[in-house]
Amino acid sequence: MRTRQLLALFGVTILIAGVTGACAPVEQRDKRFYYRALWNFALRENLQELDIEFNGVDFGHSNLYENLLLTGAKDVPAIEDRARKETLRFIDSRPVLNPNEEAIAPTYMKLAWKAQNTFDEAHALHRATYDIYVSDLVEKEDAIRKVVAFYRNSKYSITSKPLDHMRLDNFPYSKSFRRKFPLFNATIWAYHYLQVVVYDTLAAAPNLQSKQKAVEPILRTYHGYLDKPPVEWTFMPMTEELSPKFAAEYPEVANIFNNLHMMHDNISDILTTDLLPTWEEKREEIYRVTQAYYWASADVTNPFIIRDGEPTHTGSTPAIEPGATGGHSGH
Amino acid sequence: MKRSTARIAILLLLMVPTVAWALDHDNLDPNRPIAIEDAYVVPKGEIGVEGGILFSDRKQGKSRFVFQPQLIIGAFDNTQLELSSDVQTDPRSVVGDDKSGNLTIGALYNLNTETLSLPAFAARVQLGFPTGVNAKGVDTALTGVMTRSFGQWRTHVNVGYTFLGSPQGLERSGAYRVVAAVSYPLGYPTSFRDTIIANAFTRQSDLVGQRNPTGIGIGLRHQVSSRVVVDVGIGSELIGPADRSVFFSTIGLSVGF
Repeated sequence: MRTRQLLALFGVTILIAGVTGACAPVEQRDKRFYYRALWNFALRENLQELDIEFNGVDFGHSNLYENLLLTGAKDVPAIEDRARKETLRFIDSRPVLNPNEEAIAPTYMKLAWKAQNTFDEAHALHRATYDIYVSDLVEKEDAIRKVVAFYRNSKYSITSKPLDHMRLDNFPYSKSFRRKFPLFNATIWAYHYLQVVVYDTLAAAPNLQSKQKAVEPILRTYHGYLDKPPVEWTFMPMTEELSPKFAAEYPEVANIFNNLHMMHDNISDILTTDLLPTWEEKREEIYRVTQAYYWASADVTNPFIIRDGEPTHTGSTPAIEPGATGGHSGH
Repeated sequence: MKRSTARIAILLLLMVPTVAWALDHDNLDPNRPIAIEDAYVVPKGEIGVEGGILFSDRKQGKSRFVFQPQLIIGAFDNTQLELSSDVQTDPRSVVGDDKSGNLTIGALYNLNTETLSLPAFAARVQLGFPTGVNAKGVDTALTGVMTRSFGQWRTHVNVGYTFLGSPQGLERSGAYRVVAAVSYPLGYPTSFRDTIIANAFTRQSDLVGQRNPTGIGIGLRHQVSSRVVVDVGIGSELIGPADRSVFFSTIGLSVGF
């Protein structure tokens, strides 16, 4: 008799869960393991100085999004001072493993998991390409083709087509983040600088020792940007300008990374703008932009894909406001 | 004698570097280190090998060591398959569904990720085959899992029921169990290598006419490297039958590849 009661209780619990699920938006988690290969973690094992910096970068975006959400992007010191310095402290702690981003941004993850999973997949591609570049693999090109094929097999993959970033930066709410929080925005762009500038440097260095030596000035420049964020930049760093050989050899990968970084900027703007005042509106816009303009599954209908013959970004960066000084020094 | 065994077990735990995080940072697996799991599965494509040694100091009867090997495979979207076993010292005295040497296969399906309005839910099905000592019949276990986060704190509830295929003597034909737990990333926001977990549990006794073994546990999971997690845990069945575990401790290792 007790067994029946318990089974009934179990059934009611499932029913409640089902009804609740029917009333609320249900999202699948859809986590994928990274592409398994012998070169996995080559960067962590062979070039720890650089790997540590990327672990620090992982903290930055999540911490920003969580703080923008929780403060309603109303409190400038909370973002520019407190949240940015939290990120710098984490970077200074020299983390040897990447942080648990769900612990950093639990609210944001619950708001827009699909967008986060899109980032996670693209960041795994970033990591894989670094590992390949640092590994002693002879057939690096073949390995990159394989990881790109693996990446593109995900329904969360970002399009490998070139997108018109200037137009993607012209939504009604665009630029709201960089205008309100210029220091943190420049810090984010400094991360993106580091993420793409290392490819050609690593490729040009013939062995591990020279790779270690080659990234030293890049890390100095990057830390200079963290200390004094390059607020004079008017657009995010582009892969083809910082690693032109990599972009020429793997244009699809370069496009994915440029698009990934542009998507980061769009989401920062959505979380900042007053034009989308509620969390639900922000979530809807994040998903609309992600699914219609960034996911590869939307390539056929995506109005932002640059078709043959249309202008590209080449030559657009470093983008300095008229009258401003400085630029992407060090690369 | 028993007290000295318990002291040795504690000493061993303290000597080993505190370690453990599941194969995935935010993925709690049952018994690694304590009896709770979250509603999330390992990522599709991941293979994990886990193992642990549990020391159980019982109020009545011999103390036991239990070896708990487990294989986890992220076989499909949002689904993990598992193969596990418990190998125990003093196997002939074991009653209930966890007979020493039984082979268990299971599947955990994550129904959804957590959103602002909905916790994460998962469902588990397990079949225990009578490959062990004194085992008869195929045991079936159904478990519902829920995870809800509050800031960095995450709460978990597991509710399950086990049907014994062929109960022997005074064994129950079925028994429920309920576990509630909280977990927290120790070291946040400057370190993300440790997760602390505390649970409270109750379950129907293995034999009819006995009180529910009910107790608490606490554990730590520490990520050693990109692929390796170590865990330690201790706990006690505060109330329950005479042969309950008044103190248990565990240490384990998880490797993902």
